[in-house]
Amino acid sequence: MAEYTFAGMTCSEAAEQAPAFVLGILSPAESDAVRRHLAECPELHAEMAELNSVVPALFVAVEPVAPPASLKDRIMAAASADLAGRGQAAVPATAPPPSRPTAEQRAADTQRPAWDFGALFRRPVWAALAAVALVAALALGAWNVQLRDQVAGLEAYRTGVVRVLDEAAKPGAQLAVLAGPNAGGPTGLAAVGADGSVAIVMRDLAPTTGTQVYEAWLIAGKEAPVPIGGFAVGGSGSAAFGTAHPALGEGVVVALTLEPAEGAKTPTLPIIALGTAHAQAS
Amino acid sequence: MDRLAGGDLGALDLLYEQYGAMAFSIAFRITGDRSAAEDVVQDAFLGAWRNAGRYAGARGSVRTWLLSIVHHRAIDAIRRRRPTVELPDSETSLPDTLTMPDAWGDVELRLDREAVQFALTQISDVQREAIELAYFGGLTQTEIAERTGVPLGTVKGRLRLGLQGLRAALLPLDGGRGGGGG
Repeated sequence: MAEYTFAGMTCSEAAEQAPAFVLGILSPAESDAVRRHLAECPELHAEMAELNSVVPALFVAVEPVAPPASLKDRIMAAASADLAGRGQAAVPATAPPPSRPTAEQRAADTQRPAWDFGALFRRPVWAALAAVALVAALALGAWNVQLRDQVAGLEAYRTGVVRVLDEAAKPGAQLAVLAGPNAGGPTGLAAVGADGSVAIVMRDLAPTTGTQVYEAWLIAGKEAPVPIGGFAVGGSGSAAFGTAHPALGEGVVVALTLEPAEGAKTPTLPIIALGTAHAQAS
Repeated sequence: MDRLAGGDLGALDLLYEQYGAMAFSIAFRITGDRSAAEDVVQDAFLGAWRNAGRYAGARGSVRTWLLSIVHHRAIDAIRRRRPTVELPDSETSLPDTLTMPDAWGDVELRLDREAVQFALTQISDVQREAIELAYFGGLTQTEIAERTGVPLGTVKGRLRLGLQGLRAALLPLDGGRGGGGG
């Protein structure tokens, strides 16, 4: 074998570490040195491949132990939450791309505008929700809503949107579009009724953990924020919430914060989402 | 895998149905603790979920790719009980099998458990012990040397000869079906 030095490691040194490398027991620094050596030096590839071919067989030798049934639910819930937090549209399960996208294409995908009406209507599953979203978008002039492939969360969201729009359509009611400071963050609607009822629907919220709650606040002019109730959010990232508070007049701001527990008297920054309520034109 | 990389929960569901039990078995074998094994499997599936796009560069089967992540996470978990060991960043690091150069070919063997267990009887006890302490115990070569009371060079030799012996025992059993896929 020819002797080269790459990444500060000779071929002999890399070969000596080969068994430990394929077994995954080298320190990160050692492993990185071997990896960088291999990237530059083809001498060891054949031997590495031979040694590595044995490793997957070791998996097979393991005595089977059944996992708890709840584990799958935990994983799926966590993945749903992860999806909600990605801030990018997902590929629908029923329409996989015709070919494997390149890394560049995937990177480009994440930079596409989230709001793509054409793509929206090419997806039949979204048709009902798209209709609701379009009504709101036309009424408000601009409603930046992201539609994603979380059917369960979207169904809850759709139901919540319908309810909020119904409430906002009542005489004297106001509608607020809630959005976070960053594109791709949480979005939603809030209806503030003349009778003091408040209906909120949100999506793309990070799931709450432990005693955490999302607290809703009403802010009238320069008055201090008034807490009007809190709610927890599950893995879907969507939530519909109803409460009541004496009406505070036209132009009230509806805001959401994430609080460590129920009962917050002052908001914990940052504000997750907020919007100003306005009466709807008849 | 494209579906998984695209955020398709159905693909993740399918992946778990196919390999969840095996993943849990490996995690339990390494950690020896059901609760820790559950955390490892959850962490591994989410790692696969988040990094599915990187699978395109890997040469092994989906099963090997996934179970390598499980193994990696499980070893991390038990090493965290031994704070003297240098730890990788579990959020960003991936098993070496995921980050190997593309030029490195894959000759994955496809065997059942009985065949592998038989092959394990074909290597010496000390070689098998070294491999098990390394692969399922997460011990470094130095730690194996200390545990077994032999020089470091001997441990390295046992690991190499053990893996080569296993391969020699497995190849005839594989019947030429080796190859990636799945």
